[in-house]
Amino acid sequence: MAEIKAVEVSQKKKSRLNNTATLFIILVAMFGIFSYVGRPFFFSRLNIIPMLNNLSFIGIIAAVLTMVMVSGEIDFSVGGNVGLTACLVALLLDKGLPGWLVVIIALAGGLVMGAFNGMLVTVIGVNSIMATIGTMFIWRGIGYTLSNGESMLAINPVIDFIGRGFIFKVIPFPIVLLVLIFVLTYVIMSHSKWGRRVYAIGANPLASYLSGINVKKVKFIGFLLCGMTAALGGLILTSLSAVGMPQHGQGLELVIVSSIILGGTALGGGKGQILGTLAGVLILSILYNFLTIMNVYYFYIQIVQGSVLILVVSTYEIRQAMARRRT
Amino acid sequence: MEKVMKRYSTFLNFLKTPTPTLIGIYIVMLILFSLASKNFLVIQNIKGIFNNFAVYGILSAGVTIVMIGGGFDLSVGSTAGLAGIVSAVLLMKDIAVPTPVVVLIAIVIGCTVGLINGLIITKIGINPIITTLGTLAIVRGVCYFWADLNPRILNVFIQSIGRIYIGNVFPITTVYIIVAFVILTLVLKFTRFGRDLFTIGGNENLARLAGIPVDRVKIISYVISGFFCSMAGLLLISQLGSGRPEYGNGAELEVLTIIVLGGVVVGGGKGNFLGVFIALIIIQTISNGMVLISVPVFIRMVVKGALLVLVIAIDALRNRKNLQLY
Repeated sequence: MAEIKAVEVSQKKKSRLNNTATLFIILVAMFGIFSYVGRPFFFSRLNIIPMLNNLSFIGIIAAVLTMVMVSGEIDFSVGGNVGLTACLVALLLDKGLPGWLVVIIALAGGLVMGAFNGMLVTVIGVNSIMATIGTMFIWRGIGYTLSNGESMLAINPVIDFIGRGFIFKVIPFPIVLLVLIFVLTYVIMSHSKWGRRVYAIGANPLASYLSGINVKKVKFIGFLLCGMTAALGGLILTSLSAVGMPQHGQGLELVIVSSIILGGTALGGGKGQILGTLAGVLILSILYNFLTIMNVYYFYIQIVQGSVLILVVSTYEIRQAMARRRT
Repeated sequence: MEKVMKRYSTFLNFLKTPTPTLIGIYIVMLILFSLASKNFLVIQNIKGIFNNFAVYGILSAGVTIVMIGGGFDLSVGSTAGLAGIVSAVLLMKDIAVPTPVVVLIAIVIGCTVGLINGLIITKIGINPIITTLGTLAIVRGVCYFWADLNPRILNVFIQSIGRIYIGNVFPITTVYIIVAFVILTLVLKFTRFGRDLFTIGGNENLARLAGIPVDRVKIISYVISGFFCSMAGLLLISQLGSGRPEYGNGAELEVLTIIVLGGVVVGGGKGNFLGVFIALIIIQTISNGMVLISVPVFIRMVVKGALLVLVIAIDALRNRKNLQLY
């Protein structure tokens, strides 16, 4: 019995490794084809660096949202959070606060937003999809209220550095942040007790509760971290564009959730890999960047985004059903 | 005696539904708003309130059906926008498609989107929220194909469907909503489809084991929602007098708030149209009242989001069967 189980586990591990590996192969192939079709613009310093900068905040949010989704919940309010943070940052800079203080306040604001989501879901027991769709509108509405619907300049040495600074004069700072967050979440999810708990909760919350895991606490902290990283994403986006406007991050949830699901995370929780999410983010961001470079209208890209979401989830569900039939 | 007891128990059951609370909230709101603004309790304003909820009312008719069956439809705003702009383009002078054909095309568009939603959700088995979030983006993108046109509505029939007042007071759109709600209530109560829908919303596996064609019933519910989207689209272009690709943006939030406030349980199995109708009036009155006491537009957005969160939080607390441990 134990042997059979061991074989099963090893097979599972093998297939999952293959999934992530497949994604990276697809990524490399896509990159090659796009570089050829989109020459000379696609594979040039002028495109690659901004593209990486642009996907950095998407990736940062996606990495932490993967943790939330593995625990079986979801956070749609990240886009609204980005918009609110952008407006908050611009407003505070306009008031003349020093840059480092603004960064701290923005991150604290993200924590508060995450805590609010977490409370709704864990304490009151609202379905996380519904709760965060509601808070998405609240955050964006507050953003509009703060900025009065206008875009405000946000220029300050500290803020500028977050999105446009270089370390050793070559490596863009957002990329450093991206790598840092991915390494951190990878270590947490794959090599720590906390990560094991997150997977256990996603797979079976009742069993986890009965075996002594504080399910609500783990979920709450997931939302907390997600709120804070979304605020960090908002800081990067504000810095990249040098303005804070309430429309920042509109529709971001669509891109992020599709990337995460493309990376192999299950909607119901219990499954998912940080590396898969990284591959998903890279693939989709490169695809959208390529479409933009090829001069495709924004509304066509919107159609592609929606179709990608449905397609990705469909393939996942169909493969799941086929696997079930096989056993 | 037995009859009296029975009537008494139905009355008690009615008290247990959220409807009485809603009526109470509404009365309090009426008093507050009429104290705050002298323009509130005026025939002109009440007329406006009733005529303004036409689109949301028609949309919520379909979404209520979907949600009773345990589904979810976020794509209604986009679908209404698509049906609206396509009909508006077809009605432009130089194309001159006959009106009945335009209406038919609008209905086909709505039903097709509904059918696609239903097929993806039931046959592939994707979470309805994710599916309709995807179709929301796709359909809205398709609307922008006609972004460079600015069709004005000159067709008399389309102009009149959303703007006539019976006896100069009662808006005809409210009649549509009442008719739709009454018919759907009867369908839910007295047809096999309606009973099946409640069973599926209550417990899908049980329904499947009991031999109910779950997939078919669910697909039909999404098609019904699509049908009401196309009606709402026609009302939109009628009331606004033109066709624009962004019409109906964000309607899903409004409709969701109305329906959940009206006592339809997220997850399905419970809900009635009387509650939805009262919720419709309440939400529209709040929007109207906020305009009258001049709340800034962006704060209104926050209030609406907060209202949705509040309503679903109350819904969650009310339907929590026992203490949640995890």
